Amino acid sequence: MVKLLVVDDENEICEFLKSFFEERTYNVMVANSGEQALDVVKQEKPQVVLLDIKMPGMDGIQTLREIKTKFPKTKVIMVTAIETRDKIEECLRLGADNYITKPLSLEYLENDVREKIESTARSN
Amino acid sequence: MTSQAYHEALISAAKTMVRVQNPRSLLKMIARFIVQQVGLTHASIVIHEAKRNRYIFVDSKGSERIPTKLIRLDRNNPLIEWFLEKDPKGKGKKSFLLYSELLKWVNANHTNGRYKEDQKAHLVELKNIMATLKSSLCVPGFYKGELLGVLILGEKIDHESFTPDEISFFQALANDASIALKAANLRENLLQQNLELELKQKELKEKLHEIELMRTREQATYHQIVLSLAREVYAKDPYTSGHLAHVEKLGIMTAQEMSYDLKDERKRNTLTAALHLHDVGKIGIPDAILKKKGPLTDEEWKVMRQHPIRGAKILEPLTEFRDVGKIVLHHHENYDGTGYPYGLKGEDIPLESRIISVVDAFHAIVSTRCYREGRPVEVAFSELEKGAGTQFDADVVHAFIRAYQKAEGKQSAGKRSIERIA
Repeated sequence: MVKLLVVDDENEICEFLKSFFEERTYNVMVANSGEQALDVVKQEKPQVVLLDIKMPGMDGIQTLREIKTKFPKTKVIMVTAIETRDKIEECLRLGADNYITKPLSLEYLENDVREKIESTARSN
Repeated sequence: MTSQAYHEALISAAKTMVRVQNPRSLLKMIARFIVQQVGLTHASIVIHEAKRNRYIFVDSKGSERIPTKLIRLDRNNPLIEWFLEKDPKGKGKKSFLLYSELLKWVNANHTNGRYKEDQKAHLVELKNIMATLKSSLCVPGFYKGELLGVLILGEKIDHESFTPDEISFFQALANDASIALKAANLRENLLQQNLELELKQKELKEKLHEIELMRTREQATYHQIVLSLAREVYAKDPYTSGHLAHVEKLGIMTAQEMSYDLKDERKRNTLTAALHLHDVGKIGIPDAILKKKGPLTDEEWKVMRQHPIRGAKILEPLTEFRDVGKIVLHHHENYDGTGYPYGLKGEDIPLESRIISVVDAFHAIVSTRCYREGRPVEVAFSELEKGAGTQFDADVVHAFIRAYQKAEGKQSAGKRSIERIA
């Protein structure tokens, strides 16, 4: 089963995306902070991480940098309300695999996650 | 809730709605109201965002609420598409969607193959999105066939199914909310239009600056520019073509009758320019108001009453036109101080403004306008007489009538020519 990690400091958002992806037969884990996210990535090795940028403590950009340094094969999709060219470019430079702004279309998000998984499968 | 209780709740909700100007807070109230009064796991509302043609969440209330900032529904979302499509059975739009019915359709379609494959896939998608939104009932809000939003409702806390009374209650709410939303959108559009016109006016002002520079170099084109500016105003209203020449003629005539020193070239030019340009401020007023056939609303009058100030502002950059601007500014003042924009009285109002006031009123009465047919000269005279001393300077009214009659006497065909011009 495909492992997916949802990272957002708002638990409501985590739970919503968790149930959305679970209905679509993903194995979904959640983390409410960057620090938690790194632990889960280390232990569970999810194929795809949905990562919020704005979080207290370690923010999404720092988390992205850590994930991509230590686990470069993990696909990371930034899911965030912040939409400035600087931020988007920074994320992509740090190796983010996509950048989706809230409010998002669930169909688009699901397609994108599926695509990332397929590309992982091909490269393996 | 009983049918009677719904009726009462609806009336009280409708009363509140009238008081709420901001439709977003109205929608939030509706979501809260439904969750509390009907007892649902959640009540959520999406509305159409015209700019990006998508549906966004305004609010979601209840224990199973949807994170409103997280998701949106695009135009091609199965749920939105379903409501945008016409009802194949009925003639109009679909009025609600129950998850329980949807399940039946999916299964029926599974067993007897009544539907084609793509329709089946569509229904399954629809079922999935309703499941994701934890919704048992969706009710669309239409305004004149336009899908403005959808009420997305969770299940009842007591797990009972929705009664027809409840469904029609939600429909009534969705309907009223749509009307409130549409009204607010229209208000917003009007504000937007006004903003655009302000910009247009700014451009015009810049153009006038250029003209001013040019004018100092090329004295000969000066009057042409002034005229073209005035024509720009009258071109907006086909009924006022011919207005310029007529108003100029009547104004000069009246001034002459009042022993206004027309030999002073500067004074004559000022008066002529003011007669031409008194309505130049209308260039910044939306056509929807300028050409409106019915009576204007209070709001529209407010906009309309700005035209003397706008006109004076337009003329501001033309240094030669300083006096003209002042005359334009006051051409809607009344002799008794009841006019606008400043409520000036009597001799405080420039004489030229008082002349324009009379000439303009006369012209308005005899001309055919978009809202009515022109009336005879005699009617106009009697209206002016009625206003002498209150709306108009009595001296100007009498001078005008004398001058008009003299001109008519001189010209045997005078009356016809005036009528033709008017």
